[in-house]
Amino acid sequence: MRTVAVRNLRLCTKDCICLYVCPTGATDTEDSVIDVKKCTGCGMCAGACPSSAISMVPLEYPVQQKHEESVLAAEDRLSKSKCQQEILARKIAASADKDGLYRLMKAVEMSSRIMAEDVFRESGYMLPQSANAQNLLVDLIEDGPESFPRGTAREILDAIPCNEPGDRRELSTPYYKCGYCGTIFEHSGKGEIVCPLCKTSGDSFKRL
Amino acid sequence: MRYRCTICGHIYDEEKEKVPFDQLPDDWKCPLCGALKRDFVPVGEETKKTVVIEEDFDEMENLTVAQLAALCSNLAKGCEKQYKFREMEKFRELSDYFSAICPPSDRDGIEDIAEMLMTDLETNYPNVEAKASAAADRGALRIKVWGEKVTRMLDSLVGRYLEEGEEMLKDTQIWVCTMCGFVYVGDRPPAVCPVCKVPDWKFQRMEARA
Repeated sequence: MRTVAVRNLRLCTKDCICLYVCPTGATDTEDSVIDVKKCTGCGMCAGACPSSAISMVPLEYPVQQKHEESVLAAEDRLSKSKCQQEILARKIAASADKDGLYRLMKAVEMSSRIMAEDVFRESGYMLPQSANAQNLLVDLIEDGPESFPRGTAREILDAIPCNEPGDRRELSTPYYKCGYCGTIFEHSGKGEIVCPLCKTSGDSFKRL
Repeated sequence: MRYRCTICGHIYDEEKEKVPFDQLPDDWKCPLCGALKRDFVPVGEETKKTVVIEEDFDEMENLTVAQLAALCSNLAKGCEKQYKFREMEKFRELSDYFSAICPPSDRDGIEDIAEMLMTDLETNYPNVEAKASAAADRGALRIKVWGEKVTRMLDSLVGRYLEEGEEMLKDTQIWVCTMCGFVYVGDRPPAVCPVCKVPDWKFQRMEARA
């Protein structure tokens, strides 16, 4: 499995041993962010770092565990309940005139959200690379509310490749990304493609 | 005689502590998680509550807007763990969008929250446990173990607030474990979370209204 070194700046104590051991100079950057283009994934820096601030992060993740429908249904009911508690606690906090009640309801709101997130984590939405997570974005782009921020969802799909490509649904309206300016736009794919922002044409477009 | 905290599992051993459990003051709290005296049960006498397991409920329903908000903020956390900070921000943006368009709750009172917590403890968690055990799904069993303890604590705190009111929270802080959601009332957070064992700096203090 290919990996790259990533430095956690919260843990880095600037011992700088990584600079000595890195064979390609990937760790030697002005902004302390390891250069992934130079990193070969050898792991020398992570092993040498005395403050354990560097981890070897996989570039590809294995397919996540599949869950039985019966388990998913039980988890769905649980997360629905947690989400109802979250929005009720938010409502009570918003109109609370007492400090203790306000803080207690903020705690219930936050706690319920964390528990709901944890349920989704174990319901097939652990990895943003999963077909489940990506198909949800596809569905939201296709059938979501009118005000749904489709551009944001498309940027996620563009930035994170799916680790189960066979199961990932295609967008019915193709989207293209301009190789020059990075603009993402809708196009039927028929006829010449021209970037709506920088007016580039030709073959620099990537279909999403 | 030994007593077990039903929230964090801490054992109060009368032999070691030298004070019989019955003689502890009424405001005595679990030294680990802050649970009340009444949340302790004698070891060996823990009776399982009769639970309703709904066998006919096997269908996936559509996700609600509130669920989509939590689903997207969960994926933001997934990105954060992989150091994908730009994508984390984008998932947060989607989560905030769903929170913003989410219709307000159709219920009103703190009593309603107490009722929902009870439904989770009596029905929803036992249901997850039954289905997860049958399918040997360890991930689902873990959320049951963590979430049920956190829910029991919320149930205890909300119940106390209904009885004691503002006095319960006067001159003290409320802390939430950002990993599992455990809620702790006290001046300082516990050294490690009694449910998921993360260190105290993972706790967030609930601030007064700005």
